[in-house]
Amino acid sequence: MTPTWLLRRSAAPEPGTVDEPDPGTDATDAPAEPEAAEPEEAPAARPPNGRLRNAVLAVTAVVLVLGGCGFFYGAHQLRSQAPARNQALTDAEATSRVAGDVGNALARIFSYTPDGTAAAERSASTVLDGRAARQYETLFARVRDDLTEQRVTLSTRAVRTGVIELDGDRARLLVFLDQTSHRDPGKDKGDAAATTAAAQLTVTARLDDDRWRIVDIKAR
Amino acid sequence: MKRAVRLLGVGRWRPLPALALALALVAVGFAAWAGQDWYRAAHDEQAAYAAQRDAALSAGEQAVQNLNTLDHRELKRGLDLWESSTTGELHDQLASGRDEFTAQVKEAKTVSTARVLSGAVTELDDRAGRARVLVALRVTVEAADGAKSDKDSRMLGELTRTDGRWKLSALGQAPVGGTSTG
Repeated sequence: MTPTWLLRRSAAPEPGTVDEPDPGTDATDAPAEPEAAEPEEAPAARPPNGRLRNAVLAVTAVVLVLGGCGFFYGAHQLRSQAPARNQALTDAEATSRVAGDVGNALARIFSYTPDGTAAAERSASTVLDGRAARQYETLFARVRDDLTEQRVTLSTRAVRTGVIELDGDRARLLVFLDQTSHRDPGKDKGDAAATTAAAQLTVTARLDDDRWRIVDIKAR
Repeated sequence: MKRAVRLLGVGRWRPLPALALALALVAVGFAAWAGQDWYRAAHDEQAAYAAQRDAALSAGEQAVQNLNTLDHRELKRGLDLWESSTTGELHDQLASGRDEFTAQVKEAKTVSTARVLSGAVTELDDRAGRARVLVALRVTVEAADGAKSDKDSRMLGELTRTDGRWKLSALGQAPVGGTSTG
């Protein structure tokens, strides 16, 4: 059995080589052709086979390209989605940094003694920018005289700070503040009662020269 | 003989099949690269964490709003919503105090409507399914005589994930003038 097969196999190249011009004319599967090592395949059956193979190849390629484009688009969609872009908490270090910076900044600019409003205003000029700086100036211009006259000491503390959104160099935060004010007991009747008020702010901050500066403050 | 034929064959090759094969290989490569890129994006732990954060925040804001909204004319619906927004100890408290509370609100005939002004997640443990949120809230209370009053409050909520959904497990006002920091 085997010898016959071997014999046939070794004999096969003969007709194959003879037939070579014929399969060469149809544009089939290139690498298989010059070998002519598959004598089992009847030369007559080649043209339709080859065409089918080409069609399958083309369809597969198109499917692969379309599938690839689909995946590419899907990946892009996933990456550009709002949740993925917002680094609040996902970047723990940056989140705690912006929360700390903004909390401290608010505490500094809203804390003053009757004679020390200048310190608060100086802090304000370094940590505020844009709209927030203008808001602060207007506010202070209005209350500065009253403060000195009524001898009010205000101390502000950020009780809770939450980062709503953090995207690169911009951040939005929700800050709960406690503001405790004292009237100076030296004047008036020695009434040193402190009152504490709660404030809720949403703050927009921008990273400038590696420092977070507050650009907008909204009371909630 | 054979060699000659072979060379002849090579000379006869059209560039088309070779080009088709090359393009097919490029297609395979592109599809494989895009596929693994998509897989990485879809299984990105950070993105999953971000999605949980946003889910916790929206569930937290909604639950806090629900728990501060109650209409004495629709007590059953309101209180059912309270119970479905909560879990754990808070849920048990609300369920056990329900009858007493119903009687009180029926007596007072008030309508409370809450609106979330802003909210943020401060902590998120994705594995344990726990989160903490801050919510600034405005509650409008309409008394029996029609008088309305607004009250702003700042709430601290703790959320627990149960069956894939975030629900409030604790809720309280952020203390004013306290010593806690966060």
